[in-house]
Amino acid sequence: MSAIQTAGGDSRTRSYGSKAGLGPPRRRVPRVAGWLGAAPLLVFTAVVFGLVLGTMMVGAFTTPESAPGGARLTGANMSASLHGPYLTALIGSVKLSAVSALIATVVGLPIAHVVVTSRFRALREAVLAASGVLANFGGVPLAFAFVATLGNAGVLTSQFHLLSHGWNLYSFWGLTLVYLYFLIPLMVLTLTPALEGLRRQWREAARNNRANTFRYWTHVALPILMPSLLGGYVLLFGTAFSAYATAAAMVGSSVPLVTMQIADALSGNVLVGQGNVALALGVDMVLVAGLIVAIQLPLQRRSARWLA
Amino acid sequence: MARLTTPRYGRAAVLLLTGAYFLVPLACAVAFSTGVGVPGQHIGFEAYTGIFTAGGFTDSLALTLKLATATIVLVLGLLVPALVTVRLAAPRLRTLVEIVCLLPLVVPAVALVAGFSAVLRWGSDHVAGTPLFQALVALQNPDFPLVLVLAYTLMALPLAYRTLDTGLAAIDLRMLVEAARACRAPWSRTLLHVVLPNLRGALLNTAFLTLALVLGEYTVAAILGYQPFAVWILAISGSQAQMSVAVSVMGLLVTWMLLLAVATAGRARRPKETS
Amino acid sequence: MTDLTSTLETISRTRTGATVEFRGLQRSFGATTALDGLDLTVEPGELVALLGPSGCGKTTALRTLAGFERPDSGTLLVDGEDITGVPAHRRDVGMVFQSYSLFPHLTAIDNVAFGLRMSGVGKAARRARSAELLELVGLPQHAGRFPHQLSGGQQQRIALARALALRPRVLLLDEPLSALDAQVRLTLREEIRRLQQQLGITTLFVTHDQEEALSMADRVAVMRAGRLEQCAPPAELYEHPATAFVAEFVGVMSRIPARSGADDGTVDALGRTLPVHGRLPGAAEVAGGTGEVDVLVRPEAIEVTADGKGTSRIVGATFLGATTRLTVRLTDGGEVMTDVPTHAMATLPVGAPVTLTLPDRPVLVDRHRRGNSGRDGS
Repeated sequence: MSAIQTAGGDSRTRSYGSKAGLGPPRRRVPRVAGWLGAAPLLVFTAVVFGLVLGTMMVGAFTTPESAPGGARLTGANMSASLHGPYLTALIGSVKLSAVSALIATVVGLPIAHVVVTSRFRALREAVLAASGVLANFGGVPLAFAFVATLGNAGVLTSQFHLLSHGWNLYSFWGLTLVYLYFLIPLMVLTLTPALEGLRRQWREAARNNRANTFRYWTHVALPILMPSLLGGYVLLFGTAFSAYATAAAMVGSSVPLVTMQIADALSGNVLVGQGNVALALGVDMVLVAGLIVAIQLPLQRRSARWLA
Repeated sequence: MARLTTPRYGRAAVLLLTGAYFLVPLACAVAFSTGVGVPGQHIGFEAYTGIFTAGGFTDSLALTLKLATATIVLVLGLLVPALVTVRLAAPRLRTLVEIVCLLPLVVPAVALVAGFSAVLRWGSDHVAGTPLFQALVALQNPDFPLVLVLAYTLMALPLAYRTLDTGLAAIDLRMLVEAARACRAPWSRTLLHVVLPNLRGALLNTAFLTLALVLGEYTVAAILGYQPFAVWILAISGSQAQMSVAVSVMGLLVTWMLLLAVATAGRARRPKETS
Repeated sequence: MTDLTSTLETISRTRTGATVEFRGLQRSFGATTALDGLDLTVEPGELVALLGPSGCGKTTALRTLAGFERPDSGTLLVDGEDITGVPAHRRDVGMVFQSYSLFPHLTAIDNVAFGLRMSGVGKAARRARSAELLELVGLPQHAGRFPHQLSGGQQQRIALARALALRPRVLLLDEPLSALDAQVRLTLREEIRRLQQQLGITTLFVTHDQEEALSMADRVAVMRAGRLEQCAPPAELYEHPATAFVAEFVGVMSRIPARSGADDGTVDALGRTLPVHGRLPGAAEVAGGTGEVDVLVRPEAIEVTADGKGTSRIVGATFLGATTRLTVRLTDGGEVMTDVPTHAMATLPVGAPVTLTLPDRPVLVDRHRRGNSGRDGS
């Protein structure tokens, strides 16, 4: 889920469609060819996605074929995925994602604002490119940078003897710190189009109507940005929720995460025959992610309408 | 007007703190990999100079680049015709295409790989002996695991869709095509010589972000048991911690500079905006 | 709008318009100078249009008065009080922007009430006053609509209501009509003028459309390169331009080569000796001698007669409705614009030789410019 944003946004895409049916050359486009262009994409996603999701659903609701009596319909996998260590991991993931996404949203806004309104084009380009790298490339390299910095043998840890002060990178807050490293850039990328859509006239009209800078932010800018902020928060939550590489690279982390549980179950690290529980956990994640997108889409549409 | 409304010091403070937060770990990583920041360590650049000769580096990087190339080709090959079609000939398909492209957002990589491994397992149990079995083997060929290309393509779809769609929205595609058709250009040449050159920036951007995604992708490859770049870094971290950090730093910097180059190239063709 | 008079009474129960003075305003952005010593006084209740080509500093002048720009030097006085250092949100001026200035997340009535809310006016009073203003701009039925549900003209009316809500002493209009359709522009133009006169509010109106400026303003201030060229009532501006720039920027002027008479204040042009009613700066140095000068004439002031022996020739005709504008080439190669009634065109085909005659009236004289011709000043 980490791969969703570029600075472009999608606010401009709606001006089309109304122009359809104008030009004479259109008659020469054969109807069939019109569908053919989109066919490969549709077929590809239908087959690959259908197969993957289908198998996952079937697996999540049946017993393993190796089990006595073969594959039977059961709710045991789903129920197992919502109990015991799996439930702990699910809650751990939700907690970590909710907290780190909230911090990233609060911190990302002023950064994005400074970047967008900067007079220096080079600064802007450099920050946005760096954000693109951190948000998309992310994962393993970031984890290593932090291990080298704040891990048990990290540079800052040993320089400032942080371990004796109770510092532990492999804790909840340590992981949050690392997650922020790719969540904040993702927030900056998400907010850039929205902040660019804030018109100078709005700020000036507000000042003209006796609003000082603080009042402008609380009464005009933040309400207008609210859909983007909420949408961004939801996106960040989803990204953190589905992140695996970072946590996996920080070997020895004590934070229970649902992605780790799935990976362990798949590779048979824990118990043999947990494969179908892993599929059930996968279904749990799809449900959470689906919920997130369902919240995000209408928010984004609303924001696009205001800022178009 | 900036000087009337935005406090100068606030801006500087935000930039400074941000810069520190993002540069300190990088600097520490460099210090760590060169041994500067670690007491009692030998100081030197062996971690960097040794990268190219390290066991597995060339193999994993070559595998990653092959996968990236195939993924980019597949993503563009699927998306460009579909998006052009949606805008020119079948606007009613638009919503469907959008949903299909954004669908991967609801399937986290870990869930996706769970599904993939279930399919592969089920396949090896049930299609043994049939011609499909050959296809299954080819999918999992360790020299070039097609299954990763399929997974990466799905994962890249949402981002690629947004980037390309934004690029398409910025040009008046219908007018371009009609102008070309009015000049009696056949469809093939219209696409090749009119549409694609105008999408150059968006195509480049899409290709690049897909490359970044494949370069950094760990989850799917690791769980399915392959060893491209990101998995390799993790694999050597146990025995060569300094080098794994060195490779990470290099990876981040090189990707950043490439993206910056792409952004600059994409902007250079546009006239300077005035207001 | 039936209740307009009572509404107007409540609204105009404010201080009457204020005097606004710009004194030696200077402002530059990097290498470009936007204001280069602007001096201008606007009388109470007056509507002054700031007119000029783009980049002449007219918008900067307005934004400086609103407090969005700080002058490098010079002072701004409102009713004699120096407001140069007062921040924008404490100035008593209302502003209407070019377009898209309504807050997109607020309804029309909440947009109008915004300033009242910022000033701590109670909810009931806020709603009553905003409703009054919506009534005033003719949109009471649109109170609950959001900006994206309103047309461009409606949005600008709401913006006008918002600017008036706080009973400002000065109203600023920054090209408020330039983004609108021609038809809407005309009606809104009249409406703004009517409202302004009824409220008696001192108003500054920035525009690059000379027709708009001439038809609405009490006085038009023509600006060029950050300075005031002339500020005068529209008719005076048209009849007695103070500089060649004003003469040629406002309306259409033709230049006709002439010879300055001896010392008697006359010029010889097109075979006639005419009195001079004004010399533009720069024409003064040739005043005493018999130098080459240009007389500046409006197209409607030149008479054209078909004449087989005429030395001038019609080279073009543009149909304008009741009149047709002819381009006539003189013997020396210069071109002159003249307007003739369209029905007279039968005797004046393109290519015909003609004679041009100037009426026996005083003319405006400028120094001679090479290769000149009649020029459209817009």
